[in-house]
Amino acid sequence: MEPFAQAHLLWLIPVLPLLGAFINGAFGLKIHRRYGEKPIHVVAILMPALSFVIAAYYFLQMTALAPEQRQMLNHLYDWIRIGDFNLPLAFWFDPLSGAMTLMITFVGTLIHIYSVGYMHKDDSYWRFFAYMNLFMFSMLTLILGDNFVLMFVGWEGVGLCSYLLISFWYRDLKNAGAGMKAFITNRVGDFGFIIGMFALLWALGGGWNASGYALQRPENLTLVFREIKLIAPLLLNEQIFGIAAPTFICLLFFWGATAKSAQIPLYVWLPDAMAGPTPVSALIHAATMVTAGVYMVARLNFLFAMSPVVMTVVAGVGALTALFAATIGLFQTDIKKVLAYSTVSQLGYMFMGVGIGAYWVGIFHLLTHAFFKACLFLGSGSVIHAMHHAYHKSNNHHDDPQDMRNMGGLGQYMPTTKWTYLAACFAIAGFPFMSGFFSKDEILWLNFANANTLIPGQVFWAIGAGAALLTAFYMFRSYFMTFTGKFRGSADTAHHLHESPKSITSVLKTLGVLSIIGGVIGLPKLWHLPNFLEHWLEPVFETAQPYLHWHHYSHGLEWGLMALSVVIAFTGFAIAYTLYKDARSKVPAQFIQKYPALHRVVYNKYYVDEFYQATFIRGTMIFSNLCDWFDRTVVDGLVNLSAFVTHQFSKLNGWHDNKVIDGAVNGLASLTGYCGQALRKVQTGRIQTYLYVLLGGGLVLILIRFVIFS
Amino acid sequence: MPSGKLALLYPYFVLAAGVLAVLLGRMLRPSGSSRSSGTVITALVILAVAVLIAWLSPAEGDIYSIFYFDGFTRFMFIFSALATALAIFMASHSLEVAQNRFSEYTAILMTLCIGLSLMAASKNLLFTYLAIEMVSMSSYILTGFKRLDLASHEAALKYVIYGSVASAVMVFGMSLLFGLTGTISYSGIAQALGSAGIMVQAGQIGLFAMFIALMMVFTGFTFKIAAVPFHMWCPDVYQGAPTPFTGFLSVAPKAAGFALIMRFMAELFPAAAPSLTNSILMVLGLMSAVTMTLGNFSAIQQTNVKRLLAYSSIAQAGYVLMGVVVLSLAGSEAVLLYLLIYLFMNMGAFAVLQMIIDASGSEELSAFRGLGYRAPMTAFALAVFLFSLAGLPPLAGFIGKFYLFAAALKTGSNWYAALAVVAILNSVVALFYYVKIIREMYLSDEQAKMPRAISRPSLYVVVVMVVPVFILGLYWEPLQKLVEAAAAVLRLP
Repeated sequence: MEPFAQAHLLWLIPVLPLLGAFINGAFGLKIHRRYGEKPIHVVAILMPALSFVIAAYYFLQMTALAPEQRQMLNHLYDWIRIGDFNLPLAFWFDPLSGAMTLMITFVGTLIHIYSVGYMHKDDSYWRFFAYMNLFMFSMLTLILGDNFVLMFVGWEGVGLCSYLLISFWYRDLKNAGAGMKAFITNRVGDFGFIIGMFALLWALGGGWNASGYALQRPENLTLVFREIKLIAPLLLNEQIFGIAAPTFICLLFFWGATAKSAQIPLYVWLPDAMAGPTPVSALIHAATMVTAGVYMVARLNFLFAMSPVVMTVVAGVGALTALFAATIGLFQTDIKKVLAYSTVSQLGYMFMGVGIGAYWVGIFHLLTHAFFKACLFLGSGSVIHAMHHAYHKSNNHHDDPQDMRNMGGLGQYMPTTKWTYLAACFAIAGFPFMSGFFSKDEILWLNFANANTLIPGQVFWAIGAGAALLTAFYMFRSYFMTFTGKFRGSADTAHHLHESPKSITSVLKTLGVLSIIGGVIGLPKLWHLPNFLEHWLEPVFETAQPYLHWHHYSHGLEWGLMALSVVIAFTGFAIAYTLYKDARSKVPAQFIQKYPALHRVVYNKYYVDEFYQATFIRGTMIFSNLCDWFDRTVVDGLVNLSAFVTHQFSKLNGWHDNKVIDGAVNGLASLTGYCGQALRKVQTGRIQTYLYVLLGGGLVLILIRFVIFS
Repeated sequence: MPSGKLALLYPYFVLAAGVLAVLLGRMLRPSGSSRSSGTVITALVILAVAVLIAWLSPAEGDIYSIFYFDGFTRFMFIFSALATALAIFMASHSLEVAQNRFSEYTAILMTLCIGLSLMAASKNLLFTYLAIEMVSMSSYILTGFKRLDLASHEAALKYVIYGSVASAVMVFGMSLLFGLTGTISYSGIAQALGSAGIMVQAGQIGLFAMFIALMMVFTGFTFKIAAVPFHMWCPDVYQGAPTPFTGFLSVAPKAAGFALIMRFMAELFPAAAPSLTNSILMVLGLMSAVTMTLGNFSAIQQTNVKRLLAYSSIAQAGYVLMGVVVLSLAGSEAVLLYLLIYLFMNMGAFAVLQMIIDASGSEELSAFRGLGYRAPMTAFALAVFLFSLAGLPPLAGFIGKFYLFAAALKTGSNWYAALAVVAILNSVVALFYYVKIIREMYLSDEQAKMPRAISRPSLYVVVVMVVPVFILGLYWEPLQKLVEAAAAVLRLP
């Protein structure tokens, strides 16, 4: 422990939000009733804000250290000690977790501020903020934990909070269902994670041979990241079920990541998760929780880099998800659904980055995405808030405030929302000099140049570039449908539309600016500009470097591809502009009429949900019905049979009592008779049975030994 | 007896004096008075003094190789006193224990406490039998303590009959052991079983006779921990007994039973012929698997919460038995750790149940409907206890289960690994019925028609138990040290 700088206050970063969650969770209802909303959100905002201050303090302290010493440890106590295995409760602050912590506490605080306006006058105001703070605690534990178990605690915690927040308005069955779907899907992934964790632990400690598992290196039993990093090369020689250990383990971990980070095939929960309040969508389902999988792959870079198979799988799944989700996004009409699919798609890009071994760039995209996607979500929240309010005032209860077909021309009513949304659209579409441009272009270029995957990098590049075109198109489509043209609702409703309160717009402005300039932390080397982020993260990823290889192409090619990216972004923009600007073009409607089948399939998300419903869910139901049937007929039948036998037996016994015993004790007359009566009354319970079981059971136990050991 | 050895018995003397003091106090009080606070305070002070003496006294040793006061006994003494204190406190405001008979209740409970710690201290068959009977007799009385309640009487009577038969089988087994080995001390029997012992010289037939005798003894032992197939008394008795006593019954006598079994096995088996040891362990392991499975599956169908918790405690005993069966140092540490955690979470659950029964008069699941809105603190506490019983992190129950499972897996034997797998599957099943109660409390649409009144003293008891369940889930190192010290006495590998 000695060589590391000690950071004694690190534990406060996760614990402060936990304290906030406790205060609001335990006393929130009373506080709310007595003092109103203010003390609740003051506490809830203060806690993550303080966490941010502490994180910033340590971050600055770390910048003063030499790159190879940038590691800080806060060891609280030994958590689990079993024989040779020792698991500390400790938090770990290095360039990677530091950057993540800063982003999470910063964006998290902003979204808490935003929620003040958004959740105003909600009955469960206190509950919302308690959950949000609890989420911050879990997420920060996930990031800062220095071992797998602590990460898993956070991993489960964010899943729980996500469930609680998606079904926040639980009186609506749809929301409750969406929460459950998210939870169950995540559990499927957690299963992979936990199995991976055990497989890793066992593989470190020994190996499998013909006679089973043999513990050869008990001193290596550890789940602490930095210790595993040192002994990881051992795994190259190990096999599990005939598969190379790193491949086996990393596939399991990636399985976990596909659920948490909404990748094929476990992405289905994320679009439904939009049932929760919009700040939740922004915080959990765009900026932080869903990136946990990406963070995990980056954190475990030294394992993932060992296996080309896994790298191919990760990058491949990421690329496919990026394209697949983007196509679904094309025809969605619910503004939050569009953003949801775009999140799935952008997460795919991140996995393309970390998959091919360009870990820093995956994290780079994660950070820029956190800003522009949070901005987009909060912008959509602002729009929905306004629409909802206007519908409410004009007594319109049947139109959907999230449907873009009901919007149009909102720009004139809410200019701040419009401009920030537009800025974030430019960023996500990858327009030059916007944050998304730098990160996405770097991902595409490094995919093109990578020599680590079993499939040529150019394939990934092509898929990614295609998805980028779709992204630019559907994002601007959503912008034009929402903000330009004429309002498509009634004049009465339009009359009530107005810009959101200051707590909302101020956050939008901050995030809008960051969406534009956020890219400065990772400027391309091609331009001979300093790339802060790559240097900053270098010490974290250096162990993986020996396994990684890159093709060296000319600068000309790199320039060319970059130019192509720009062209793609502009093309997407141009198509969206012609088709959707001011809702003048008739082409979209004609297209739907001409190809109704295609539209229906894509609009219904390729019927994947229906497929899962028909296979996994129905399968489970059938199985459980089968069990029920078994229980009712076979088990109950046996029980009834034994009851019958017992009954007959006790009849026999009763007869014996009456005739034999009573006859014998006749002399004792009334007293005995009375006792016998009383006893028999009790004995019509089943104490005989009990004793038969006692003696018979003992006998069976004795006999069993001779059956088995004979 | 050497006079110095008398010091070993001081904690017991204090308890015995306490019993008398409580009864005397009752006699001195005017007969109409029904205040129980004096009794509670007296009893708690006495228990505290006894625990302090047991804890601080350096004296360790044995009396005539019958009674051993060592780290293990000390642990179980403190455990029993803690359970007794909680049970007295729970009963002090329960409607099921008549206030004018509360002193008797307390006195009998403290007698029971003496018996419990003697169970853990004995290394002699006769003394073991006496300790067990001391516990049983007191338990019978307290089960039938609700004077006007027929169910309580029926339960007591069933308990007496069942217990007598189990005892009879056990004493028969003990007499066989005496006949076979000529001794009633554990160490003497161990010698006879050892490589040069007479039982081995007698060959196969000797081991066979020994096996049967031991199984009969174990019948009596496992009746105390309510392991299948010696569990049938358990649901009826738990349901009929006054709730605060049921809480105690589900924890303390079981723990003492486990302590007794551990002491017995640790003394006898490491020396015995492997074929004998293995067959006994196999049978007990099978019992453990069946106990947890049957307990859990029976609990699923219950709508009476008291009965449900009775079955749940049967299942819990199955888990603990697994830790005993592995017969290792890690196993016995895990067992002691689990028992202490179980003390808090199970008695806690019963404490909440008692509040509900007192407030609503019903033991049914429907009495819990909407409790989360009527009494949020109480409901939260119950949820914590139940989640902990189910073994969910970060609560103490998870840690306890973790150590139990780890102990089974650590042996490296496939047979124990299979047992651990059964146990893990069982904890999944168990979650189902624990959550059933929680769902009733929180997710039921129908809002409270039940009275809200939850008494303040009951809430204190619950808080006293909910805090350790939280803290021990995150920071259990001191407890771990305590347990290590106690288990080291058994000298298992």
